[in-house]
Amino acid sequence: MKRRTFVQLLAATPLATTIHANESKDVPKYKVVTPHKPAALPGMPGPYPGKVISVKSAKCLNEDGTKINGEVVREMMERGMREMTGEAKAIDSWRRFFTPEDIVGIKVNAGGRPWVVSSHEIVAETIRNLMAVGVKPQQIYIYERFQNQIDQVNYSPYLPEGVNIFAAERANARNNNQSYDPKVYVEADFFGEDDTRSNMIRLVSQQLTKIINIPNMKDHGATGATGCLKNIAYGSFSNVARTHHKGVSHTLSFVGALAAVEPLRSRTVLQIMDGLRGVWHAGPFAPTLKYVFFPRTIMFGTDPVAIDRLLLDIIDDERKRRGAISIWNRDEKTLDFNNGGARDKDPNVNIIIREPGHVEYAGNLGLGVHDIKKIEVKEIEV
Amino acid sequence: MSFLAISRGSQKGKKGKNNKNSFLLFLPFLLFLLPFTPQRIYDALDSEAAETQRDAADPQRLPLIYWAGGIETAESLKQAGIEQIATAPDKAVAWRKAGFKVVALSQAGVERREKLLTPRIAGRANVASATRRPWIDANGWRFVRNPAGKFYYDLPRGKAAMAVAEAFAYKADAILKIDPADLTEAGAMIAFIKNLPGATHPAIADIGVIDDKSPETGEVMNLLTRRNLLFKVVTVPAPQFRVNIKLGSNEYPRTDAANPSEFAQKIRQRLGDENRSLRIYGTEMVICRLTGDGARARLHMLNYSGREADGLRVRLRGNYGKGEANGFGFGRIEMEDFGANEPATEFSISKMGIYAVIDLIRSN
Repeated sequence: MKRRTFVQLLAATPLATTIHANESKDVPKYKVVTPHKPAALPGMPGPYPGKVISVKSAKCLNEDGTKINGEVVREMMERGMREMTGEAKAIDSWRRFFTPEDIVGIKVNAGGRPWVVSSHEIVAETIRNLMAVGVKPQQIYIYERFQNQIDQVNYSPYLPEGVNIFAAERANARNNNQSYDPKVYVEADFFGEDDTRSNMIRLVSQQLTKIINIPNMKDHGATGATGCLKNIAYGSFSNVARTHHKGVSHTLSFVGALAAVEPLRSRTVLQIMDGLRGVWHAGPFAPTLKYVFFPRTIMFGTDPVAIDRLLLDIIDDERKRRGAISIWNRDEKTLDFNNGGARDKDPNVNIIIREPGHVEYAGNLGLGVHDIKKIEVKEIEV
Repeated sequence: MSFLAISRGSQKGKKGKNNKNSFLLFLPFLLFLLPFTPQRIYDALDSEAAETQRDAADPQRLPLIYWAGGIETAESLKQAGIEQIATAPDKAVAWRKAGFKVVALSQAGVERREKLLTPRIAGRANVASATRRPWIDANGWRFVRNPAGKFYYDLPRGKAAMAVAEAFAYKADAILKIDPADLTEAGAMIAFIKNLPGATHPAIADIGVIDDKSPETGEVMNLLTRRNLLFKVVTVPAPQFRVNIKLGSNEYPRTDAANPSEFAQKIRQRLGDENRSLRIYGTEMVICRLTGDGARARLHMLNYSGREADGLRVRLRGNYGKGEANGFGFGRIEMEDFGANEPATEFSISKMGIYAVIDLIRSN
C-alpha cells in the first residue's frame, strides 16, 4: 500500500517539528524537539542511497555456526567497503567517512545474546580501520542502551586499550535518565502512558560526530524484522518499549520517526549489517540456537532502508522455508499477546501484529530507498 | 476521631496528670461539641478550605511513629533522632520522663483511624490498566479527599521512611506502626523533613472533583493521583478548573468510571497535557504533590519504585526561577538542564531516592 507522505516543519518554532508521514488515524502525532540542524548531506541515506553490498562467505563460520573466523571477516569487510566506495584500498574507503578528528560511536546490538549480537570480530575490525584512519581509541565509543546486555556480550577482550564502552542505563528498568538529553526528544502518546517522551542519548546528541551502525539480521515480534533502522532508532532513545501493548505496535511509524531525528540522522554515516548469524523467529532474542540460522553474510551501505528492505525478505524467506507464518501475517488468530512463552515455542504464534511496513514508512520519511526495483545489490562471494 | 484529637491536643506542652484532670473536667463540654468537631466541619467544605483549617491548626505537622516498645528502648529512639512518639497510655508517663514528647494512644485508638495501604508497588494483574505500568499502592488521594482525616499505617519492614514521607507530603494526620528495624531510617526521614525550609502553601490543582463519597469516586481520585493529575475536592464546579468531575452527571456518567484507569485517561485528554500544572518524565512510578501560593511553589516527589532514579524531568506550568532541591539520602541535589520559558519551566533532578522536595520561586 502506498502511503502519502509529507513532513511539515513548523516555521514558527524552529526547535519543534511535527511529523505526519501517514494520513492514517492510527499513526500518532509526533512532536520532535531538537536544536540540531541536518547536515548538508545527512548520513542517512548518505552518499549511496539504494546501494547495498552483500558479501557472503561460507568460511566465515565453522560448520555448526558457533565460531567466527576473524580472518575471513576481515576480508569480507575489506571487500565490502571497497566495493561500496569504489576505492582500490580499504583504508581509502574508510577515509571517505572518517577523519582523525572524529568522535565515532559504534551502535552495536547486544540484545540477541549470546548468538545473534554484533560480533566481536566485526566490531574489532571496524575499530582497527578507524584507528588506521587516525581516530584514537579514546575517540571511539561502542554504545548500547543497557549495561547488563553489553556486559554479557563482553567486547573488552577484543578491543584495543582506550576504546570506550558506553551504556545509557544499567538495565531496562526505566530509572536511569541521566544519559539522555532532555533537549532532544520525540513526544507522542501511544497508549495513554504518562511518560510521553523518548529522549536521545546524550552521547549521540552532544559528543559523537559520526556513528557506525552494526545491527544483526533478526526477526522481531513487533517490527517483523529488526535491522539498521530499529537498531539505530530504538537503540539511541529512551522509553521506546511503550510502543507495543496488548498486541498492537506503533513501530510502523515510530522507528522511522526516531531515526529521522537530528543529529542522529546526519551523524549515522555507515551501516554494516552483521548477518553472519541471524534469528528467524522469537527475535530479537536468541538465547539458544533453536531459531538461529546462518546467512554467513555482511551487508554494507549508507542507506538503512535499502538494507532493511532486503532484510525483510531474508527473514520472511527463512520463515517460509521453515514453515512459519509470514512476518506480513496480520491474522488476529495468530495473536497470543503477552505470551512470550507461546511465541517461543511456536513459530506460528505472534505476540504483536507485526509492522514490517516500518521500512517503507522510513523510506517515505526520506531515510532511504524502499522500492526493491530501485535498490542496487552487489553480491560478492569471498 | 474525637478521642484521638483530644488526646493528641491535650499533650501539647503539659504534664500528663494535669491533662487527665482537664479532660475529666471538660468532658461534658467536649461531648457537647462533638457534632461540631473539625471532621464534621470539613465535610461541608472543599478540600482547600479544609486544608487551610487543618494547616492553621498544626502548620508543622509531622507523622507520628507509634512505638510499642518499653522504656528500655529509649536509647535506640534517641539514636534515631526521634523525639516524639505515640504509645500506649500505660507507657506514656515513663516515656515522658525519659524526655520524649508523647501522644498516649491505645491500640484500639489507633485502629479507629482509617487504615492506609503500605506504600509500594503492588501486583494487581486483574486490574485493567491502560499501559504496562505497575500498580502502585499510594495513599495521597485519601489525604486529598479527607484533609482532616485521622489515619494510620501498619507497615512491614522497609516501608517506614516511605510512609513518613508520604504522610508529610500531604500533611496528613497519620500514625505509623513500624517494624523496629526501620527506626533509624524513619528517624532519618523525620530529620530530613525537619531540615526542609518551612513552607505551608495550598495545594495546586487542575481538576475539581465533587465528592459523593462513593467508592467509585474514590477510585477515580486514586487514578488521578496515580497519573499526577492534580485535583481538589470541591462542593460545586469551580470556574478556575478546566475540568470539574461529578460522577453521575450527564458529562460523567457513573458507568464511565467502571474502568477508573480509562476514566482518568479521559480526564487527562479533556484537560490537555499542555495545560497540566505538572508533568513528570522518565518514570511512571513517582507521584507528586504540588503546592504554591502564587509567589512560591513546593513540589513533593514520592518515588514508589524502590530504586534510586536519576535524571527525572519535571515540567511545571508557569515561570519559575531555579530554586532549591533536597533529596532524602542525598541532601541538596542538582536541578539540571533548567529552562524557564512560557508556558512552562523544566528541569531535571540529578538523582533521588524515595523522596525529594523542590522549592521554587515564581520569576514573574
